[in-house]
Amino acid sequence: MEKAYTPQIIGFLCNWCSYTGADLAGVSRLQIPSSIRVIRLMCSGRIDPLFVTKAIFKGSDGVMMMGCHPGDCHYQKGNYYTRRRYKTIKTVLEVLHLDAERIVLSWVSASEGVKYARVTKEFSNKITGLGPNPLKKEIFL
Amino acid sequence: MTATESIKIEKPPKGASIPAKKGIKKAILGIFKKALETESLDALIIPVKVPETESYAWVLLKDTALLENADPLPPVMTIQGGKVLSDLTKHGKINKNIAAVLRPCETRAAVELFKLKQLHFENISLISIDCPGAIPLSEYLAEPEKSEKSFGNVLDKWDGDDSVREICKTCYRFSLPTLTNAPASDLHIGLSGNTKDDVVLIPVTSKGEKILEKLDLKPESSLQKWETKIKEIKKIKSQRRKEFNHDFKTNISGPEKFTAVFDGCINCHNCQSVCPICYCQQCYFDSATTKLSSEDYFRRAKERGALRFPLDTMLFHLGRMSHMALSCVSCGACEDGLPHVHFRISGLQPRRRADPASIQLYPGNK
Ligand code: SF4
Ligand code: SF4
Ligand code: FES
Repeated sequence: MEKAYTPQIIGFLCNWCSYTGADLAGVSRLQIPSSIRVIRLMCSGRIDPLFVTKAIFKGSDGVMMMGCHPGDCHYQKGNYYTRRRYKTIKTVLEVLHLDAERIVLSWVSASEGVKYARVTKEFSNKITGLGPNPLKKEIFL
Repeated sequence: MTATESIKIEKPPKGASIPAKKGIKKAILGIFKKALETESLDALIIPVKVPETESYAWVLLKDTALLENADPLPPVMTIQGGKVLSDLTKHGKINKNIAAVLRPCETRAAVELFKLKQLHFENISLISIDCPGAIPLSEYLAEPEKSEKSFGNVLDKWDGDDSVREICKTCYRFSLPTLTNAPASDLHIGLSGNTKDDVVLIPVTSKGEKILEKLDLKPESSLQKWETKIKEIKKIKSQRRKEFNHDFKTNISGPEKFTAVFDGCINCHNCQSVCPICYCQQCYFDSATTKLSSEDYFRRAKERGALRFPLDTMLFHLGRMSHMALSCVSCGACEDGLPHVHFRISGLQPRRRADPASIQLYPGNK
């Protein structure tokens, strides 16, 4: 029998909110899609656009950027940078027709375990619908 | 407070006209000479032709004799002036009162670098100049004399002669910016639209006004002729940029086309090292992180079916695009710095910069 397709999604999570939120989701025994691989960062502001573009170029099926809600960043303005970068990467990928919809930005606080479970599930379903990232097999890219 | 930390004066209604019987460049240099002699300025940073060679170098000078070989508008852009100012002031403000003579794309780079905390504007006056474009560096170096001559023609014609760089043919920000609130320079030298017998000095900020005051120059001449001509050229160039953007977008969209555009890349990273905005001390792509163990290469090759070397040649360009997108000033230095291969890189960024609707998060997106 052919194995069902499970996408591979990279999640860049800020330590103070989203990662704690993810932890809460786990502790609360909420169901989290197995497609998401979490990378913890001290702040979403640490997400260099390169992390995201590299993940996509190297064949990840999706990338989630997650941080504290605006105004809640542990370092005051890290997530404002994130928001600006997200918009930039999105635009660049849109212009280039390189699957911009495989990237998402989400604010998840430490108490939002339920939200974490919901957004990861929604995104995972969306990516499953899109199918594997076609760049995965591009040799010259 | 504006980027140049001076007070912007309302749309300059008038400028100071300077007679240029012996040529416009001589007239401009004459003003600088006077400014240095009267100590209205402590020093000047300006491109100077290196004696006995065909190259231009940026020189910080006080000695007016050096002005002999200076050129406020050289036929080529060797090193981006914004980068030069950043070198000069990165580690703190300067205590001397100096002026820098820059092309408009260079002043814009200086402003972007200021926002990125890579440059201090205290005590520096930016002097911009109407720019008809620059000759491609490679062409200039191959035939300097011919290039000097064709640059002369370019200066006569003003609407983008064929010999200037591609980016310059579509550069609609070659003069004073009129669309933004932030002044990109303190004093502007208007060339186009005037008879060849004069140039006009336009004060843009209070700093610029002060320079004129110290030189005893009164901004009393009408700018109408100049403005009309600028508008005319702007229209032509904006149209060209629009067409270019459209073509460019069609030619780069999708993974195959993207790869095709950059296929000539030989991984020299020249575009990065000459770019005024690429200011990181250590670029990820030049770091040891990008070198993997052979096992790792084999693992990746297995995943993909094969592996292109060197790794990340294409990712480098995408990375640069996403880093530059908000600050690129469309100066073309990256393109000019390419070795033998020719592809349009500077075009990538301005496409988006020219489309503020797409990126509205950055107030400096002009
Ligand atoms: S891009 Fe070209 S025309 Fe525009 S200001 Fe720079 S050198 Fe001049
Ligand atoms: S990317 Fe190219 S055009 Fe843009 S600022 Fe850098 S050198 Fe100039
Ligand atoms: S600490 Fe969470 S986004 Fe900055």
